[in-house]
Amino acid sequence: MEITPDTSGYMIAGYIITFLTMCIYVFSIYRRNKNLKQDLETLKSLDTKKTKKK
Amino acid sequence: MATKSKMIGNRKLKVGGRKSSAFRFPPSAAPRFLAKPTFFKATMAIVQKDLAAEFRSRELLSAMLVFSMLVILIFNFALELDIKVRQSVTAGVLWTTFAFAGTLGLNRSMAVEKDRGCLDGLLLAPVDRSAIFFGKAISNLAFMLIVEAIVLPLYALLYNEVRIFQPAFLGVILLGSIGYIAVGTLLSAMSVQTRTRDVLLPILLFPVAIPVLLASVKASGGLLNNATFAEILTPLNLLIVYDVIFIAVAFMVFDFVVEE
Amino acid sequence: MQSKPIVLSILDVVSIIVLGVAAYLALVFAPTELVMGDVQRVFYFHVGTAWVGLLGFILAAIAGIAYLTTKDMKWDRFEVAAVEVSTMFFFITIVLGSIWARPVWNTWWTWDPRLTTAAVTELIYIAYFMLRQGIEDPEKRARFGAVYTLLGGLSAPITFMVIRLFRTIHPVVIGSQSAEAQGGFSMTTDMRTAFFFSLFAFTIIFIDLIWHRIRLGRLQDKVEELKLNLSL
Repeated sequence: MEITPDTSGYMIAGYIITFLTMCIYVFSIYRRNKNLKQDLETLKSLDTKKTKKK
Repeated sequence: MATKSKMIGNRKLKVGGRKSSAFRFPPSAAPRFLAKPTFFKATMAIVQKDLAAEFRSRELLSAMLVFSMLVILIFNFALELDIKVRQSVTAGVLWTTFAFAGTLGLNRSMAVEKDRGCLDGLLLAPVDRSAIFFGKAISNLAFMLIVEAIVLPLYALLYNEVRIFQPAFLGVILLGSIGYIAVGTLLSAMSVQTRTRDVLLPILLFPVAIPVLLASVKASGGLLNNATFAEILTPLNLLIVYDVIFIAVAFMVFDFVVEE
Repeated sequence: MQSKPIVLSILDVVSIIVLGVAAYLALVFAPTELVMGDVQRVFYFHVGTAWVGLLGFILAAIAGIAYLTTKDMKWDRFEVAAVEVSTMFFFITIVLGSIWARPVWNTWWTWDPRLTTAAVTELIYIAYFMLRQGIEDPEKRARFGAVYTLLGGLSAPITFMVIRLFRTIHPVVIGSQSAEAQGGFSMTTDMRTAFFFSLFAFTIIFIDLIWHRIRLGRLQDKVEELKLNLSL
């Protein structure tokens, strides 16, 4: 039986990348959500202004 | 072939100098056609229109041909196509060339319809939408086959590759072209309606067409290397399966692609 | 915009917990594989992400059909969510596979059927987003997107079968083992526990993320609609 090679470096790299990718994705959803909510507020205020003018 | 082009040549005289700015039926056929357009007749009318327009301008075919020759030229030096290398890469080189030239033709063929407003005219015509799909697909296939019919002998001549001229090899080329064009016609109808149009077609088409290209390369490469029929049976089957599935799907979803 | 449903909040917490447990099982609980060493632990997340990646692509193709038949925008939102989340997971699968392959196969990449199909699938769905970006009309965007996911979903299995004609060294851990496969191993009970739990965990996380993405899609549609109203 040969000695088990030490490949823990690869494992650590793999798990770091996994968690990093998922974090980036979750963060991107959060950011897009925030931006859209901001847009929505702006649009709503514009909308009320427009209806008031009329 | 000679009689056919002569016939189209006559038609060209009849239609006269009119630019194909709108879909026009040949005068003799028009009333009958409009009264009751059968699926087959509608399809054939579109094929005829495309071929007639192309034989007049020849812009699409000449572009595809020159492009194919350039690709082969580049491959010649990039891969050092000496006799040993050619043994294994001929099928690959040919299929790459056809795929690239095919995209060029597909793009142009659909862009012309879109730009000159032909597509809207076609959609208004009282014919089944899928007849438009088959019409475009058949004329695209015709262009591709014409290009192949010129490129293959040229390749054979340049590289002394007479093995190309076996019926089975040509059959594989035909099957591969059918599958490629079926998906390509559908996707080009989509890509011309987007902002990035010309750039988008190869990006959309190549990943979806990979099975048909690889199966064709495998089957035709096998034939060139004197493989037994049993060896090329699997890629051949996959090729046929792909053709059948994608013609059926393209036929079914084409409506959704041209819908306004 | 309705406020966040309570079930989703619970699902968020559950997702984080199961991810933590799955990581614990994979990194600590499961025994070290003797031939490959620690890098084998990558396998649990590799298969977990691959599973949800595939699931998402199949669901996207089904959603595409559903959209084309019903013309209901909710299917489009589901389709985009499924494709986006799956593309992300599939990216992880490919990277993890590549990291595992380096010490075991002695190469980062090889043109094996699974690897090639994964790469091609990833490209199809990147093309999908490029297609959608090029279309302004939401209804047309949904239609074209649906057609393309359908084509992609059909061509991916054929790609797999075609490339299998060339050759394979990818191990098959569940089911029969190919003679040429390198880096295969048989799982112990503890390994199985970690393996199945990671499948379960990623399914939960997948549902959670899709749900969030659908809500984002809804918000996007609302903003787009308001913009259109204002410009009129």
